[in-house]
Amino acid sequence: MSDKPEKFIDENGLRLDGRRVDEIRPMKMEIGVLSRADGSCYLEWGKNKVLAAVYGPRELHPRRLQKSDSALIRYRYNMAAFSVEDRIRPGPSRRSIEISKVSREAFEPVVLTHLYPGAVIDIFAEVLQADAGTRTAAINAASMALADAGIPMKGLVSACAVGKVDGQLILDLDKPEDNYGDADIPMAMTSEGEITLIQMDGDVTPEEFKRAIEMCREGCRQILEIQKETLQNKFAKLNEVEVSDDEGEADVSALVECTLDPLEGNEIPDVGESEDDESIEEDLVEDAEAEDEVESVEGQDDTDDLYSDDEAGEQVEEFDDSFKDVDEEDIPEDDEETA
Amino acid sequence: MEREIVIPGQLLSENKADSGSGTYVKDGKVYSFLYGVKNSKHKISVIPFSGKYIPSSRDYVIGTVIEVTPSNWIFDIGSPYDGLLHVSEYPRRVDSDKMTEIMDFGSSALLRIKDVSSSMKVELTMREHGLRALNVGRLIEITPTKVPRIIGHSGSMVSMLKKETNCEIFVGQNGRIWIRGTDAEMDLLNEAIELILKHSHTSGLTDRISHFLKNEVDVVSEKDETVLQEDLAEDAEDESEIQEETYRKVDALLEEDGN
Amino acid sequence: MSNEVMSVLKKDYIYNLMLKGKREDGRTFDEMRKIDLRTNVIEKAEGSAWIKLGETEVLVGVKLQAGAPFPDSPGEGVIITSMELNPIASPDFEAGPPKESAIEMARVTDRGIRESGAIDLSKLCITEGEEVWIVFIDIHVLNNTGNIQDASSLGAIAALLTATVPGAREGRGEDMPVPIRDMPVSVTLVDIGGEMMVDPDLDEETVCDSRITIVSNQDGSISGMQKSGNGALTEEKLLKAVSLACQKASELRETHLLNI
Repeated sequence: MSDKPEKFIDENGLRLDGRRVDEIRPMKMEIGVLSRADGSCYLEWGKNKVLAAVYGPRELHPRRLQKSDSALIRYRYNMAAFSVEDRIRPGPSRRSIEISKVSREAFEPVVLTHLYPGAVIDIFAEVLQADAGTRTAAINAASMALADAGIPMKGLVSACAVGKVDGQLILDLDKPEDNYGDADIPMAMTSEGEITLIQMDGDVTPEEFKRAIEMCREGCRQILEIQKETLQNKFAKLNEVEVSDDEGEADVSALVECTLDPLEGNEIPDVGESEDDESIEEDLVEDAEAEDEVESVEGQDDTDDLYSDDEAGEQVEEFDDSFKDVDEEDIPEDDEETA
Repeated sequence: MEREIVIPGQLLSENKADSGSGTYVKDGKVYSFLYGVKNSKHKISVIPFSGKYIPSSRDYVIGTVIEVTPSNWIFDIGSPYDGLLHVSEYPRRVDSDKMTEIMDFGSSALLRIKDVSSSMKVELTMREHGLRALNVGRLIEITPTKVPRIIGHSGSMVSMLKKETNCEIFVGQNGRIWIRGTDAEMDLLNEAIELILKHSHTSGLTDRISHFLKNEVDVVSEKDETVLQEDLAEDAEDESEIQEETYRKVDALLEEDGN
Repeated sequence: MSNEVMSVLKKDYIYNLMLKGKREDGRTFDEMRKIDLRTNVIEKAEGSAWIKLGETEVLVGVKLQAGAPFPDSPGEGVIITSMELNPIASPDFEAGPPKESAIEMARVTDRGIRESGAIDLSKLCITEGEEVWIVFIDIHVLNNTGNIQDASSLGAIAALLTATVPGAREGRGEDMPVPIRDMPVSVTLVDIGGEMMVDPDLDEETVCDSRITIVSNQDGSISGMQKSGNGALTEEKLLKAVSLACQKASELRETHLLNI
């Protein structure tokens, strides 16, 4: 495995693929690509191909995982078996579990989770083809999928890596640079420049590190521009469109007036085959006044039993199962680990 | 008014007093926390392109029963939070063992949200005029953020839809719409709703949809007659042709309007 | 665990349409959804296909590795088909090891390819008894709006048709195309209250009593079949389904595979 190039940067300061040291690989993205997901994004970055989807906020089971004052965020980074040269076994590995964790934490500071107590926001990032920098690619796509899903966020998150080859810092490592470079520092930043993910392996001086952050910031700024453009262009066709009067809040009183009242004498067969429509109507009127006094005390007891412990137990078992083979992993590493 | 697409984190105003829904204030400045359209009518708010329905007290919703407990029907209301209809909130007295006869797994109903607790426990009621279980008609699901568009200013859109298609309509604020009429009427209304969604961010929509429906009503009544005469397989073909045709007409209409 | 529950109104609507000979999306009973098939989309795989069947999306990747043959067939290559119902594809799918339906669908796809003899496994022998090519067919489901089965099966054979044996890279002879002899194609029908229809969408899959998948080959022979669902089929219905499936499979082959 020693096809290590002699030089990564030529006399003109250009890298093997012709990029300058501070240039990112070509990136393109598209949102709203999956019909089932609440939000989605397909992203190509160099040879990386990543699909991210967001489901939620949605109900979280088992209930013991629920946070009473905010939504839980789950992030699953997963590589397709065929995404790398040597096939990898499907399912989670130690590597993908770690990446999932730090990626989730890259979003936790920006997502307004307190708006959805007890719920969960699921982020799924599927790496379809990997070519160095998949975790940052996945974060860029996930950020777009969250926006597409209408998830409230303080800002978008953008991510890229800085590395070191031939003693020089370079932005956005490609495969050979990643494999044979001396350092790899992936970072994620908010649009305000706060760092929400940083990892590093390799060897850099404190001065180099300081410079690396600046390079990364510039990279993330460029990516943010692409993200903004993608979001703006999604509805580009609506050029001369206006915000109309009825945009925004639903006009509830109008709704009631137009659709509930009056029933216009249309007999609506009520529940089941019951023939006593009239009596229902009567009851309705009679009971209307009493409405506010009715207390649903019994109901409160019920709800706690909605999801039985059995069910929760089953969930846990399955959950555990899925990670059983974890410890023997770390073998067929993908491209991102330095060789 | 100028339409502007905004993204999360985008600066909207230097004046924190402008902060409306969909925005947050940081260091005295107003930012968007959503991806959507900016609305600077009174304050600055952001109307999102998408998003889940979050229950709010007094909302009207359409739910589907997912579980029946001894004293509650539990409804999926198209939200991260299920709704509970306590048996006492049903308009009539119901014995515990008779609950599934009234509404069972899969039954749908028009409901109102009575209360939402801070932990998002959602209590529903049916003890209001017009609220009821649904066992006829069709349900249509739309993005909840588009509901205001279907209702229209002071209910103009929904009244017009009702009048032109002769259907009963109930628009739940959770993005579910119940309609009832003849098959042809419901097909037409369904089409109109799809059109509204497709062009939901354009202006003058009510008039254009009304125009569309007025043109189409004739076609529909003709279609009804043909159905009687022809056999069913052929009807299926007819229908797809008509849809094509209508879309072309509507597109032409919309273009006209735009110019 | 899914909260998705289909309302009775919706079920009735689909059932009533069926009685009138109609389907929700306007198709006839023997009409597939629109298919968009792109091959060689993943350069790192030896073969790949991204298929859209309506809104259902499946990505199939083929990888080949040298490995040991099965003891009972020392001179033949090995096929391993797996499917992941990724949680990205549906609110109903959960992370974790493949559940029974994923395993069922992967095995039906696998049987179709294996039993039809689509791959000439004898040509995938490197050293008899010691080393053969192992063909990994990995089916990555990306969006489920019904009938993952047929999308997977068509995607798998399309990916195989574009696949290369990476002899040079692995230091085991020269590169060559994966030797394909046949093109098995599956067609799935569902029985909704008495009428059979091909290529069910999600709602039709949800309301159907039973589902039948038939894998057929270029010469019209049948190489795989699977009935699932809690309903029963009459012999007459089954035979009708088989004949319709073979006809549809031949059309699919004609339109989407012969030009690869």
